Amino acid sequence: MDEKGVQSFLIIFSVIAFLLALTVILLFAIFQKRKNKLLREQQDAENRYREEIIETQIEIKEETLRNISWELHDNIGQLLTLSKIQLQNADDKPERIQEASETIGQCLEELRSLSKLINPDTFSNLSLVEALQLEMERFNRMKYLKASLSFSEADFALDNKVELIIFRMLQEFFTNTIKHSKADVLKVNVDFKEGVLKIDASDNGIGFDTEVKNADSGIGLMNIKNRATLIGADAEILSKEGEGTHFKLTYKKNEL
Amino acid sequence: MKIAYLFFIPLFLELLAAIVATITYRKYSGSNEKYFLYFLWYTFLIEITGTLIGYAFEADNYWVYNGFIISSFLFYFYWYYSILKRKRFRQTIVIFTATFLLVATYSLIYEDWSAYHSYTFLTGASFVLVLTVFHFYKLLNSDEVLIVKHKLSFWISTALLLFYMGMIPLMFLTVYADLNDISYLIIILSMNLILYGCYIIGFLWTKKEYNRF
Repeated sequence: MDEKGVQSFLIIFSVIAFLLALTVILLFAIFQKRKNKLLREQQDAENRYREEIIETQIEIKEETLRNISWELHDNIGQLLTLSKIQLQNADDKPERIQEASETIGQCLEELRSLSKLINPDTFSNLSLVEALQLEMERFNRMKYLKASLSFSEADFALDNKVELIIFRMLQEFFTNTIKHSKADVLKVNVDFKEGVLKIDASDNGIGFDTEVKNADSGIGLMNIKNRATLIGADAEILSKEGEGTHFKLTYKKNEL
Repeated sequence: MKIAYLFFIPLFLELLAAIVATITYRKYSGSNEKYFLYFLWYTFLIEITGTLIGYAFEADNYWVYNGFIISSFLFYFYWYYSILKRKRFRQTIVIFTATFLLVATYSLIYEDWSAYHSYTFLTGASFVLVLTVFHFYKLLNSDEVLIVKHKLSFWISTALLLFYMGMIPLMFLTVYADLNDISYLIIILSMNLILYGCYIIGFLWTKKEYNRF
Protein backbone atom coordinates (compact mmCIF):
# COMPACT_ATOMS: atom_id res chain seq x y z
CA MET A 1 0.00 0.00 0.00
CA ASP A 2 1.52 3.36 -0.94
CA GLU A 3 1.61 6.32 1.39
CA LYS A 4 -1.25 8.15 -0.26
CA GLY A 5 -3.45 5.09 -0.04
CA VAL A 6 -2.71 4.70 3.67
CA GLN A 7 -3.44 8.36 4.22
CA SER A 8 -6.83 8.33 2.58
CA PHE A 9 -7.70 5.10 4.35
CA LEU A 10 -6.86 6.66 7.70
CA ILE A 11 -8.86 9.79 6.94
CA ILE A 12 -11.95 7.92 5.83
CA PHE A 13 -11.68 5.39 8.60
CA SER A 14 -11.37 8.04 11.29
CA VAL A 15 -14.22 10.13 9.86
CA ILE A 16 -16.51 7.13 9.91
CA ALA A 17 -15.32 5.99 13.32
CA PHE A 18 -15.90 9.48 14.68
CA LEU A 19 -19.40 9.64 13.21
CA LEU A 20 -20.31 6.26 14.61
CA ALA A 21 -18.93 7.05 18.05
CA LEU A 22 -20.87 10.30 18.08
CA THR A 23 -24.07 8.51 17.08
CA VAL A 24 -23.67 5.90 19.79
CA ILE A 25 -22.94 8.50 22.47
CA LEU A 26 -25.86 10.67 21.41
CA LEU A 27 -28.23 7.71 21.25
CA PHE A 28 -27.15 6.52 24.67
CA ALA A 29 -27.35 9.98 26.23
CA ILE A 30 -30.82 10.72 24.84
CA PHE A 31 -32.27 7.36 25.84
CA GLN A 32 -30.69 7.50 29.29
CA LYS A 33 -32.00 10.99 29.94
CA ARG A 34 -35.49 10.08 28.83
CA LYS A 35 -35.40 6.92 30.89
CA ASN A 36 -34.38 8.80 34.03
CA LYS A 37 -37.10 11.36 33.48
CA LEU A 38 -39.72 8.65 33.10
CA LEU A 39 -38.49 6.84 36.20
CA ARG A 40 -38.67 10.08 38.16
CA GLU A 41 -42.20 10.69 36.96
CA GLN A 42 -43.24 7.19 37.96
CA GLN A 43 -41.72 7.72 41.37
CA ASP A 44 -43.57 11.00 41.72
CA ALA A 45 -46.86 9.44 40.72
CA GLU A 46 -46.32 6.67 43.24
CA ASN A 47 -45.59 9.19 45.97
CA ARG A 48 -48.69 11.16 45.09
CA TYR A 49 -50.75 7.98 45.25
CA ARG A 50 -49.33 7.08 48.64
CA GLU A 51 -49.99 10.56 49.98
CA GLU A 52 -53.54 10.44 48.71
CA ILE A 53 -54.11 7.10 50.41
CA ILE A 54 -52.85 8.47 53.70
CA GLU A 55 -55.00 11.56 53.33
CA THR A 56 -58.02 9.41 52.54
CA GLN A 57 -57.40 7.30 55.61
CA ILE A 58 -57.17 10.41 57.77
CA GLU A 59 -60.37 11.79 56.29
CA ILE A 60 -62.24 8.57 56.94
CA LYS A 61 -61.00 8.57 60.54
CA GLU A 62 -62.09 12.19 60.99
CA GLU A 63 -65.48 11.37 59.55
CA THR A 64 -65.75 8.47 61.96
CA LEU A 65 -64.92 10.70 64.91
CA ARG A 66 -67.52 13.19 63.76
CA ASN A 67 -70.07 10.38 63.48
CA ILE A 68 -69.24 9.17 66.98
CA SER A 69 -69.67 12.64 68.30
CA TRP A 70 -73.07 12.91 66.63
CA GLU A 71 -74.19 9.50 67.81
CA LEU A 72 -73.08 10.22 71.36
CA HIS A 73 -74.87 13.51 71.37
CA ASP A 74 -78.00 12.77 69.36
CA ASN A 75 -78.61 9.15 70.14
CA ILE A 76 -76.99 7.86 73.28
CA GLY A 77 -77.06 11.21 75.02
CA GLN A 78 -80.77 11.55 74.35
CA LEU A 79 -81.49 8.05 75.61
CA LEU A 80 -79.52 8.64 78.79
CA THR A 81 -81.26 11.95 79.36
CA LEU A 82 -84.57 10.19 78.91
CA SER A 83 -83.69 7.48 81.41
CA LYS A 84 -82.50 10.11 83.85
CA ILE A 85 -85.84 11.88 83.68
CA GLN A 86 -87.65 8.57 84.04
CA LEU A 87 -85.62 7.74 87.16
CA GLN A 88 -86.18 11.21 88.62
CA ASN A 89 -89.90 10.62 88.32
CA ALA A 90 -89.65 7.12 89.71
CA ASP A 91 -90.22 8.17 93.33
CA ASP A 92 -93.99 8.28 93.04
CA LYS A 93 -94.36 5.83 90.16
CA PRO A 94 -92.20 2.71 90.56
CA GLU A 95 -93.19 1.36 87.12
CA ARG A 96 -90.98 4.14 85.70
CA ILE A 97 -87.95 2.20 86.93
CA GLN A 98 -88.87 -0.58 84.55
CA GLU A 99 -89.17 1.96 81.70
CA ALA A 100 -85.85 3.53 82.61
CA SER A 101 -84.20 0.13 82.64
CA GLU A 102 -85.56 -0.52 79.12
CA THR A 103 -84.25 2.81 77.93
CA ILE A 104 -80.84 2.06 79.38
CA GLY A 105 -80.94 -1.36 77.70
CA GLN A 106 -81.66 0.33 74.40
CA CYS A 107 -78.86 2.74 75.09
CA LEU A 108 -76.47 -0.16 75.73
CA GLU A 109 -77.53 -1.71 72.45
CA GLU A 110 -76.71 1.50 70.60
CA LEU A 111 -73.41 1.76 72.42
CA ARG A 112 -72.52 -1.77 71.43
CA SER A 113 -73.22 -1.22 67.75
CA LEU A 114 -71.29 2.02 67.86
CA SER A 115 -68.25 0.41 69.43
CA LYS A 116 -68.42 -2.37 66.88
CA LEU A 117 -68.52 0.19 64.10
CA ILE A 118 -65.51 2.14 65.25
CA ASN A 119 -63.28 -0.77 66.15
CA PRO A 120 -60.33 -0.42 63.74
CA ASP A 121 -59.96 -4.21 63.47
CA THR A 122 -63.45 -4.77 62.16
CA PHE A 123 -63.23 -1.69 60.04
CA SER A 124 -60.09 -2.68 58.16
CA ASN A 125 -61.41 -6.19 57.57
CA LEU A 126 -64.63 -5.01 56.01
CA SER A 127 -65.25 -5.31 52.32
CA LEU A 128 -66.55 -2.31 50.42
CA VAL A 129 -70.12 -3.64 50.42
CA GLU A 130 -70.02 -4.40 54.15
CA ALA A 131 -68.69 -0.94 54.93
CA LEU A 132 -71.41 0.62 52.80
CA GLN A 133 -74.02 -1.54 54.53
CA LEU A 134 -72.88 -0.26 57.93
CA GLU A 135 -73.09 3.31 56.66
CA MET A 136 -76.64 2.71 55.44
CA GLU A 137 -77.62 1.15 58.76
CA ARG A 138 -76.20 4.14 60.54
CA PHE A 139 -78.16 6.58 58.39
CA ASN A 140 -81.34 4.65 59.06
CA ARG A 141 -80.65 4.38 62.76
CA MET A 142 -79.92 8.07 63.07
CA LYS A 143 -83.05 8.71 60.99
CA TYR A 144 -81.21 11.08 58.69
CA LEU A 145 -82.97 9.55 55.71
CA LYS A 146 -84.17 6.25 54.34
CA ALA A 147 -81.12 4.56 52.90
CA SER A 148 -80.99 1.30 51.00
CA LEU A 149 -78.24 -0.73 49.41
CA SER A 150 -78.49 -3.36 46.72
CA PHE A 151 -75.60 -5.32 45.27
CA SER A 152 -74.94 -8.13 42.86
CA GLU A 153 -71.91 -9.54 44.62
CA ALA A 154 -70.72 -8.93 48.14
CA ASP A 155 -67.05 -9.60 47.81
CA PHE A 156 -65.14 -8.77 44.65
CA ALA A 157 -61.69 -8.49 46.22
CA LEU A 158 -60.42 -5.23 44.85
CA ASP A 159 -57.16 -3.79 46.02
CA ASN A 160 -57.62 -2.53 49.60
CA LYS A 161 -56.40 0.93 48.73
CA VAL A 162 -58.75 1.19 45.79
CA GLU A 163 -61.69 0.11 47.96
CA LEU A 164 -60.66 2.71 50.53
CA ILE A 165 -60.68 5.49 47.98
CA ILE A 166 -63.99 4.40 46.47
CA PHE A 167 -65.51 4.24 49.93
CA ARG A 168 -64.27 7.73 50.72
CA MET A 169 -65.70 9.10 47.46
CA LEU A 170 -69.09 7.64 48.33
CA GLN A 171 -68.83 8.85 51.89
CA GLU A 172 -68.21 12.35 50.62
CA PHE A 173 -71.25 12.06 48.41
CA PHE A 174 -73.39 10.84 51.34
CA THR A 175 -72.19 13.67 53.55
CA ASN A 176 -73.20 16.16 50.88
CA THR A 177 -76.56 14.47 50.53
CA ILE A 178 -77.24 14.62 54.27
CA LYS A 179 -75.91 18.12 54.77
CA HIS A 180 -77.19 19.98 51.74
CA SER A 181 -79.70 18.07 49.66
CA LYS A 182 -82.62 17.76 52.09
CA ALA A 183 -83.26 14.35 50.59
CA ASP A 184 -85.19 11.68 52.46
CA VAL A 185 -84.29 8.71 50.28
CA LEU A 186 -80.84 7.47 49.37
CA LYS A 187 -80.34 4.51 47.08
CA VAL A 188 -77.05 2.80 46.38
CA ASN A 189 -76.56 0.05 43.87
CA VAL A 190 -73.30 -1.88 43.58
CA ASP A 191 -72.89 -3.99 40.51
CA PHE A 192 -69.86 -6.13 39.78
CA LYS A 193 -69.81 -7.98 36.49
CA GLU A 194 -66.90 -9.39 34.46
CA GLY A 195 -64.28 -7.36 36.26
CA VAL A 196 -66.16 -4.08 36.00
CA LEU A 197 -67.46 -2.42 39.13
CA LYS A 198 -70.37 -0.04 38.71
CA ILE A 199 -71.67 1.96 41.61
CA ASP A 200 -74.75 4.02 41.33
CA ALA A 201 -75.84 6.29 44.17
CA SER A 202 -78.77 8.64 43.99
CA ASP A 203 -80.81 10.82 46.31
CA ASN A 204 -84.13 12.61 45.81
CA GLY A 205 -82.98 15.93 47.21
CA ILE A 206 -83.07 19.42 45.85
CA GLY A 207 -80.13 18.80 43.58
CA PHE A 208 -78.01 21.53 42.16
CA ASP A 209 -77.09 22.93 38.81
CA THR A 210 -73.87 21.19 37.73
CA GLU A 211 -73.04 24.16 35.53
CA VAL A 212 -73.06 26.70 38.33
CA LYS A 213 -70.95 25.40 41.15
CA ASN A 214 -70.61 27.20 44.39
CA ALA A 215 -67.22 27.09 46.06
CA ASP A 216 -68.22 24.41 48.54
CA SER A 217 -69.63 21.77 46.26
CA GLY A 218 -67.02 22.70 43.67
CA ILE A 219 -64.20 21.54 45.90
CA GLY A 220 -66.09 18.42 46.87
CA LEU A 221 -66.70 17.56 43.22
CA MET A 222 -63.08 18.24 42.33
CA ASN A 223 -61.99 15.97 45.16
CA ILE A 224 -64.16 13.15 43.92
CA LYS A 225 -62.96 13.58 40.34
CA ASN A 226 -59.31 13.70 41.37
CA ARG A 227 -59.62 10.57 43.40
CA ALA A 228 -61.35 8.79 40.55
CA THR A 229 -58.50 9.71 38.18
CA LEU A 230 -55.99 8.50 40.73
CA ILE A 231 -57.32 4.95 40.74
CA GLY A 232 -58.19 5.03 37.05
CA ALA A 233 -61.94 5.06 37.59
CA ASP A 234 -64.58 7.04 35.85
CA ALA A 235 -66.75 9.20 38.12
CA GLU A 236 -69.73 11.24 37.09
CA ILE A 237 -72.06 13.45 39.06
CA LEU A 238 -75.35 14.26 37.44
CA SER A 239 -77.76 16.69 38.98
CA LYS A 240 -80.46 19.15 38.14
CA GLU A 241 -82.19 21.55 40.43
CA GLY A 242 -85.18 19.84 42.00
CA GLU A 243 -84.37 16.44 40.51
CA GLY A 244 -81.96 14.97 43.01
CA THR A 245 -78.32 14.05 42.54
CA HIS A 246 -76.89 11.03 40.85
CA PHE A 247 -73.39 9.70 41.37
CA LYS A 248 -72.00 7.13 38.96
CA LEU A 249 -68.71 5.37 39.33
CA THR A 250 -67.19 2.85 36.94
CA TYR A 251 -64.02 1.04 37.81
CA LYS A 252 -62.37 -1.66 35.78
CA LYS A 253 -60.48 -4.16 37.85
CA ASN A 254 -57.17 -4.80 36.19
CA GLU A 255 -56.29 -8.43 36.12
CA LEU A 256 -52.64 -8.93 36.90
CA MET B 1 -3.60 -15.57 4.08
CA LYS B 2 -5.06 -14.47 0.82
CA ILE B 3 -7.03 -11.26 0.81
CA ALA B 4 -9.90 -12.99 -0.92
CA TYR B 5 -10.59 -14.96 2.24
CA LEU B 6 -11.59 -11.75 3.96
CA PHE B 7 -14.63 -11.71 1.71
CA PHE B 8 -15.92 -14.72 3.57
CA ILE B 9 -16.13 -12.86 6.86
CA PRO B 10 -19.37 -10.99 6.02
CA LEU B 11 -20.75 -14.27 4.77
CA PHE B 12 -19.88 -15.88 8.05
CA LEU B 13 -21.43 -12.98 10.03
CA GLU B 14 -24.63 -13.25 8.03
CA LEU B 15 -24.80 -16.97 8.61
CA LEU B 16 -24.18 -16.49 12.32
CA ALA B 17 -26.89 -13.82 12.62
CA ALA B 18 -29.36 -16.00 10.69
CA ILE B 19 -28.62 -19.00 12.90
CA VAL B 20 -29.01 -16.98 16.11
CA ALA B 21 -32.26 -15.55 14.71
CA THR B 22 -33.54 -19.06 14.02
CA ILE B 23 -32.63 -20.34 17.48
CA THR B 24 -34.25 -17.42 19.28
CA TYR B 25 -37.25 -17.29 16.93
CA ARG B 26 -39.90 -18.11 19.54
CA LYS B 27 -38.94 -14.94 21.48
CA TYR B 28 -40.13 -12.64 18.72
CA SER B 29 -42.42 -14.83 16.63
CA GLY B 30 -45.45 -12.79 17.67
CA SER B 31 -44.11 -9.47 16.44
CA ASN B 32 -43.42 -7.83 13.11
CA GLU B 33 -39.73 -8.51 13.66
CA LYS B 34 -40.38 -12.11 12.65
CA TYR B 35 -39.84 -11.13 9.01
CA PHE B 36 -36.18 -10.50 9.87
CA LEU B 37 -35.63 -14.22 10.19
CA TYR B 38 -36.53 -14.72 6.54
CA PHE B 39 -34.71 -11.56 5.58
CA LEU B 40 -31.45 -12.69 7.18
CA TRP B 41 -31.55 -16.05 5.44
CA TYR B 42 -32.40 -14.28 2.20
CA THR B 43 -29.38 -12.00 2.71
CA PHE B 44 -27.18 -15.00 3.33
CA LEU B 45 -28.39 -16.77 0.18
CA ILE B 46 -27.83 -13.64 -1.91
CA GLU B 47 -24.35 -13.26 -0.50
CA ILE B 48 -23.50 -16.89 -1.27
CA THR B 49 -24.86 -16.55 -4.80
CA GLY B 50 -22.88 -13.36 -5.34
CA THR B 51 -19.70 -14.85 -3.96
CA LEU B 52 -20.09 -18.01 -6.02
CA ILE B 53 -20.71 -16.10 -9.21
CA GLY B 54 -17.86 -13.73 -8.49
CA TYR B 55 -15.16 -16.15 -7.36
CA ALA B 56 -16.09 -19.58 -8.56
CA PHE B 57 -17.27 -18.60 -12.01
CA GLU B 58 -15.43 -15.26 -12.13
CA ALA B 59 -18.46 -13.69 -13.73
CA ASP B 60 -20.02 -10.30 -13.18
CA ASN B 61 -22.03 -10.36 -9.95
CA TYR B 62 -23.05 -6.71 -9.55
CA TRP B 63 -26.59 -7.34 -10.74
CA VAL B 64 -27.14 -9.69 -7.81
CA TYR B 65 -26.18 -7.01 -5.34
CA ASN B 66 -28.12 -4.28 -7.14
CA GLY B 67 -31.20 -6.45 -6.98
CA PHE B 68 -30.50 -7.06 -3.32
CA ILE B 69 -30.15 -3.34 -2.57
CA ILE B 70 -33.60 -2.65 -4.00
CA SER B 71 -35.30 -5.56 -2.27
CA SER B 72 -33.63 -4.93 1.08
CA PHE B 73 -34.63 -1.26 1.20
CA LEU B 74 -38.18 -2.14 0.21
CA PHE B 75 -38.17 -4.66 3.03
CA TYR B 76 -36.97 -2.07 5.55
CA PHE B 77 -39.64 0.38 4.40
CA TYR B 78 -42.29 -2.29 4.73
CA TRP B 79 -41.08 -3.23 8.21
CA TYR B 80 -41.07 0.36 9.41
CA TYR B 81 -44.50 0.84 7.89
CA SER B 82 -45.77 -2.07 9.98
CA ILE B 83 -44.32 -0.84 13.28
CA LEU B 84 -44.79 2.93 13.00
CA LYS B 85 -48.47 3.56 13.55
CA ARG B 86 -48.56 7.34 13.47
CA LYS B 87 -50.30 8.66 10.39
CA ARG B 88 -47.66 11.28 9.59
CA PHE B 89 -44.90 8.65 9.72
CA ARG B 90 -46.78 6.29 7.47
CA GLN B 91 -47.43 9.00 4.90
CA THR B 92 -43.71 9.77 4.89
CA ILE B 93 -42.89 6.10 4.35
CA VAL B 94 -45.25 5.92 1.40
CA ILE B 95 -43.60 8.98 -0.15
CA PHE B 96 -40.14 7.54 0.55
CA THR B 97 -41.06 4.25 -1.09
CA ALA B 98 -42.39 5.97 -4.19
CA THR B 99 -39.31 8.19 -4.50
CA PHE B 100 -37.02 5.25 -3.93
CA LEU B 101 -38.77 3.19 -6.61
CA LEU B 102 -38.41 6.08 -9.07
CA VAL B 103 -34.68 6.39 -8.38
CA ALA B 104 -34.22 2.61 -8.58
CA THR B 105 -36.03 2.45 -11.91
CA TYR B 106 -33.94 5.30 -13.23
CA SER B 107 -30.75 3.52 -12.16
CA LEU B 108 -31.88 0.24 -13.70
CA ILE B 109 -32.53 1.93 -17.03
CA TYR B 110 -29.69 4.43 -17.29
CA GLU B 111 -26.90 3.20 -15.02
CA ASP B 112 -24.31 0.63 -15.88
CA TRP B 113 -25.33 -2.86 -14.73
CA SER B 114 -21.75 -3.79 -14.03
CA ALA B 115 -21.35 -1.27 -11.20
CA TYR B 116 -23.09 -0.61 -7.88
CA HIS B 117 -26.14 1.58 -8.27
CA SER B 118 -24.96 4.24 -5.90
CA TYR B 119 -27.96 6.56 -6.36
CA THR B 120 -30.34 3.79 -5.40
CA PHE B 121 -28.18 2.96 -2.44
CA LEU B 122 -27.78 6.55 -1.24
CA THR B 123 -31.49 7.31 -1.54
CA GLY B 124 -32.48 4.14 0.26
CA ALA B 125 -29.84 4.58 2.95
CA SER B 126 -30.82 8.19 3.73
CA PHE B 127 -34.49 7.22 3.92
CA VAL B 128 -33.72 4.35 6.27
CA LEU B 129 -31.75 6.74 8.48
CA VAL B 130 -34.78 9.01 8.72
CA LEU B 131 -37.00 6.03 9.54
CA THR B 132 -34.68 4.87 12.32
CA VAL B 133 -34.95 8.36 13.81
CA PHE B 134 -38.76 8.11 13.57
CA HIS B 135 -38.61 4.79 15.34
CA PHE B 136 -36.38 6.13 18.12
CA TYR B 137 -38.74 9.05 18.47
CA LYS B 138 -41.62 6.63 18.91
CA LEU B 139 -39.70 4.60 21.49
CA LEU B 140 -38.64 7.71 23.40
CA ASN B 141 -42.22 8.85 23.69
CA SER B 142 -43.55 5.65 25.17
CA ASP B 143 -43.02 3.73 28.38
CA GLU B 144 -40.99 1.25 26.39
CA VAL B 145 -37.96 3.45 26.85
CA LEU B 146 -37.53 1.72 30.20
CA ILE B 147 -37.07 -1.72 28.69
CA VAL B 148 -35.60 -0.69 25.41
CA LYS B 149 -32.60 -2.96 25.57
CA HIS B 150 -34.90 -5.96 25.62
CA LYS B 151 -36.73 -4.83 22.52
CA LEU B 152 -35.55 -6.40 19.29
CA SER B 153 -36.81 -3.54 17.16
CA PHE B 154 -34.56 -1.13 19.08
CA TRP B 155 -31.49 -3.19 18.25
CA ILE B 156 -32.48 -3.51 14.62
CA SER B 157 -32.91 0.25 14.35
CA THR B 158 -29.59 0.82 16.12
CA ALA B 159 -27.89 -1.59 13.73
CA LEU B 160 -29.38 0.15 10.70
CA LEU B 161 -28.60 3.62 12.04
CA LEU B 162 -24.94 2.82 12.70
CA PHE B 163 -24.48 0.88 9.47
CA TYR B 164 -25.89 3.54 7.17
CA MET B 165 -24.39 6.35 9.25
CA GLY B 166 -21.07 4.80 8.24
CA MET B 167 -21.95 3.72 4.70
CA ILE B 168 -23.20 7.10 3.47
CA PRO B 169 -19.98 9.04 4.23
CA LEU B 170 -17.98 6.11 2.90
CA MET B 171 -19.80 6.35 -0.43
CA PHE B 172 -19.18 10.09 -0.63
CA LEU B 173 -15.58 10.02 0.53
CA THR B 174 -14.50 7.26 -1.86
CA VAL B 175 -15.39 9.59 -4.72
CA TYR B 176 -12.73 12.04 -3.56
CA ALA B 177 -10.12 9.76 -2.05
CA ASP B 178 -9.00 6.71 -3.88
CA LEU B 179 -9.21 3.70 -1.62
CA ASN B 180 -7.52 0.49 -2.50
CA ASP B 181 -9.34 -2.77 -2.15
CA ILE B 182 -7.98 -3.82 1.18
CA SER B 183 -8.72 -0.49 2.88
CA TYR B 184 -12.25 -0.54 1.51
CA LEU B 185 -12.63 -4.10 2.66
CA ILE B 186 -11.48 -3.34 6.20
CA ILE B 187 -14.02 -0.56 6.55
CA ILE B 188 -16.83 -2.65 5.07
CA LEU B 189 -15.89 -5.48 7.39
CA SER B 190 -16.03 -3.22 10.44
CA MET B 191 -19.44 -1.97 9.40
CA ASN B 192 -20.71 -5.49 8.88
CA LEU B 193 -19.39 -6.41 12.27
CA ILE B 194 -21.37 -3.56 13.82
CA LEU B 195 -24.53 -4.35 11.83
CA TYR B 196 -24.65 -8.06 12.55
CA GLY B 197 -23.23 -7.56 16.03
CA CYS B 198 -26.22 -5.37 16.91
CA TYR B 199 -28.62 -7.90 15.36
CA ILE B 200 -27.09 -10.74 17.33
CA ILE B 201 -27.14 -8.78 20.61
CA GLY B 202 -30.78 -7.93 19.90
CA PHE B 203 -31.75 -11.56 19.26
CA LEU B 204 -29.95 -12.71 22.39
CA TRP B 205 -31.14 -9.98 24.75
CA THR B 206 -34.70 -9.64 23.61
CA LYS B 207 -37.47 -10.92 25.85
CA LYS B 208 -40.67 -12.41 24.61
CA GLU B 209 -42.99 -10.21 26.66
CA TYR B 210 -41.62 -7.02 25.11
CA ASN B 211 -42.04 -8.05 21.48
CA ARG B 212 -45.77 -8.21 21.25
CA PHE B 213 -46.18 -5.32 18.89
